Amino acid sequence: MILIIETQNLSKWYGNVLGLNDVTIQIESGITGILGPNGAGKSTFLKLITGQIKPNIGKVKIKGEKIRNNYSLFSIIGFCPEQDSFYEEMTGWEFITSLLKLHHFSSTEIKARAQDALEIVELINDKDRVIKSYSRGMRQRLKFAQAIAHEPEIIILDEPLNGMDPLGRRKIIKLIKSYEREGRTIIVSSHVLPEIEAMTKRIILIHQGKIFAQGNIHYIRDLIDTHPHIISIKCSNPRELASKFIHEEYVLKVHFSSTRDSLLIETNNRDKFFSLLPSLFLESNIEVKEITSPDDNLQAVFDYLVGK
Amino acid sequence: MIISKRFLIIWWENKMNEKIKKGLPSFLKSTKDVFSFFFFLGKKARKTKVFYLVSFFPVIMVLVIKFVQIFSGLPHVQGIFIFSNHIMVLYLQFLILILALFFGTSVCSEEVEGKTLTYLTTRPVSKSAIILGKYAAYTLLIVLMTGIGLILTFLILNVNNLLDFSLYKILFKYTIVLILGLICYTSFFTFIGTFLKKSILFGLVFSFGWENVIQYFPGSTQRFAIVHYLKSLLPFPSGGRFSFLLFRLEPTSPGVAVVMLFLITGVFLGLACLFFSQKEYILED
Amino acid sequence: MTIKEKGYTHWDGELKEGKFPWRPITRWGIKLTFKKKFFKLLFFTSLVPALVYLAGIYISERLEDFRFMIKGPTEFIQTNPAYFKSYFTNDFLLFMMVMILVFCGAGLISDDLKYNSLQLYFSRPLKKKDYFFGKAFVIVFFLFIVTLIPGLVLFFMKLIFSGSFKFFVSYPWLLVSIIGYSFLVTGFFSFYALFLSSLSKNRRYVAIFIFGLYIFSDILFGIFYGIFRNQYFALLSIKSNLQQVGSFIFNQKTPYDFSWFYSFLILFFICVLAGLVLKKKVRGVEIVK
Repeated sequence: MILIIETQNLSKWYGNVLGLNDVTIQIESGITGILGPNGAGKSTFLKLITGQIKPNIGKVKIKGEKIRNNYSLFSIIGFCPEQDSFYEEMTGWEFITSLLKLHHFSSTEIKARAQDALEIVELINDKDRVIKSYSRGMRQRLKFAQAIAHEPEIIILDEPLNGMDPLGRRKIIKLIKSYEREGRTIIVSSHVLPEIEAMTKRIILIHQGKIFAQGNIHYIRDLIDTHPHIISIKCSNPRELASKFIHEEYVLKVHFSSTRDSLLIETNNRDKFFSLLPSLFLESNIEVKEITSPDDNLQAVFDYLVGK
Repeated sequence: MIISKRFLIIWWENKMNEKIKKGLPSFLKSTKDVFSFFFFLGKKARKTKVFYLVSFFPVIMVLVIKFVQIFSGLPHVQGIFIFSNHIMVLYLQFLILILALFFGTSVCSEEVEGKTLTYLTTRPVSKSAIILGKYAAYTLLIVLMTGIGLILTFLILNVNNLLDFSLYKILFKYTIVLILGLICYTSFFTFIGTFLKKSILFGLVFSFGWENVIQYFPGSTQRFAIVHYLKSLLPFPSGGRFSFLLFRLEPTSPGVAVVMLFLITGVFLGLACLFFSQKEYILED
Repeated sequence: MTIKEKGYTHWDGELKEGKFPWRPITRWGIKLTFKKKFFKLLFFTSLVPALVYLAGIYISERLEDFRFMIKGPTEFIQTNPAYFKSYFTNDFLLFMMVMILVFCGAGLISDDLKYNSLQLYFSRPLKKKDYFFGKAFVIVFFLFIVTLIPGLVLFFMKLIFSGSFKFFVSYPWLLVSIIGYSFLVTGFFSFYALFLSSLSKNRRYVAIFIFGLYIFSDILFGIFYGIFRNQYFALLSIKSNLQQVGSFIFNQKTPYDFSWFYSFLILFFICVLAGLVLKKKVRGVEIVK
């Protein structure tokens, strides 16, 4: 693996709001997932490593060179920003070709690359529509297209799957994985764990402006798996259902509601518990009204990991 | 399989290093690319079409004047007099200020407000090239807007003397002054747009406050206004007996005035590039 | 497991409507305007004429004490309806009112268009009329502070300084004039700013048009009058029309030799046009062509 991005004591604050705090990190080629709940500092980190904003303390280097005001580096960087903003009066085609022009390609090359990029994101049939008439998913794909159109070595994607339909997500994930195979560096941020999990094993966890875990996703997964999950089941006979799984060692606590139609289960192995559940329902012929997991979100996982 | 992957990685590495080493196109080429980007975008934009209509208003106005002159018994005033004393005042003290203010401050502000700045600053073009390219594109747009209007206005007002070629010399002079004014004011407002959030308000106060008030002061004070150098290039109409109490132009020689206008343009464009390169723009939601 | 169809439960309660549903819009608009940098400075600058005129009333009541300072005629300092008219129709005050519009009026509707928030407004128990009132009252609030309030303060200070009701008895209609003109100028500017604000999603664009149109109309009058020497061209100027109607309301000689009613008609026509455009432009769903 080759070292691509390096940061040293990177800190950024906006007035008295801390955006990022003392981040020292090295990112190698391949896909790296930046994971964190909303407002954790993911976008600040990506803006800093693309030189959009200045760090208050610390340094950023890309391939050994400083990034801020080093515009030559952008011939090998593609950035897909988080914000949903465009030159609304342009068509999709004009948007991509105009930006490619700033890479100083010849006009035939611009056309060929724009064609390729729009085909990849499946916008070629809508290329002549003005951007302001695009749907949310189309806008997201167009943003992605401008980041890859010049075939950069380093692709930095800030929440690229936001607003996309499941099919579009799968396609983009597949594409990102193919870039990894070509030896490119992809940094992708998200607050959805399964999204990142589908792309890479290498993740960086950001929370409250700090990096508090970095490495293989299995390690994080293990931590998450041991995180006691609470599952709520509304059914016709909660006590009978409880009697079926109470002997399982991964069931830590069971709590019955006063209304006698639901129960709360605390388990430290959510996957095993969920795989058992359908057979139990069938065996005992219990009618299920609702299954919910009140703390099944990344914020809860982070709270658990930081010991809140 | 492993070998082919390794080969791919090395191939990419070499390709990208070449891409950086190959060296970037000249600063001028970058500026030209940014220019064509925004000239194209500017031409398409709705705001440009609206401002084209606004800048053609003097044409409608002189058509009305001509119409009234022909069909009413009101006093007949010579076309060249109306052009020099009224139309040029409208252009110099209103139209070019409004256009330069809007398009000049837009160079930076519209990217920040529209949150499209990221698309430009993540391209292999320097920030100075972005400012200069966009400035040049917008300046050309407004020069075309006002230039065409000015020429049409002149021709309509002097429709009876179109064969008098000495008039074209005057038209040429006025057009040059107009272009110089647009170049200079737009550079100033481009600079304002790069470092002030409330650039429009400041621009309005500057254009309709400072630029007007400062002319009433005698001596060197009036040289702190851009309009002073523009007026120094034009024949100054003599005022009434007491006009000196209100406004007395103490003109700078035409050569110095032109140099000063270019100097002001250069300084403010330089400052705009400097601010834009160093300042951090937070794209707020 | 059977899936049961869940029927829709109809709302049986009483649908209540607030008395002033526009209030939160106004409150928020005022709050946001005050948060803007430099606005307070501009706003207080626009109150300078009021302070000067107040000082004028004080001096006029103690003219003998100030005699050593004033040489020549003292008519200009006499407090009468002309004095009030000159406060309300002076160029500086009108200019400052336009500057206030640039600050507080430009973004009122254009920001809602930009951020697509009109549908958020209209998904609440809010009628179009309430929306317009809410927005217009932001302008009314600021303009009343520089017109109606100082006008009333000047009037009552005159009574207090003179220590008698003689002034009130001499000009009993003046209070109505102050209120009437304040409503006219504020109402007109509210329509004017909201109309321009509804034309674009770009607040900077609107700001330039609010200011530019006002100045341009006056320049236009200057040019036409300069060429044809006909006072009717004053009808082209927003400022002149306001001054013409203002002079009539304060029972003074109008500055131009034509009926004040023509000016009133022009202002009224602009308001009607603005109302029609606003009605068309402000809607819950945006149609992209």
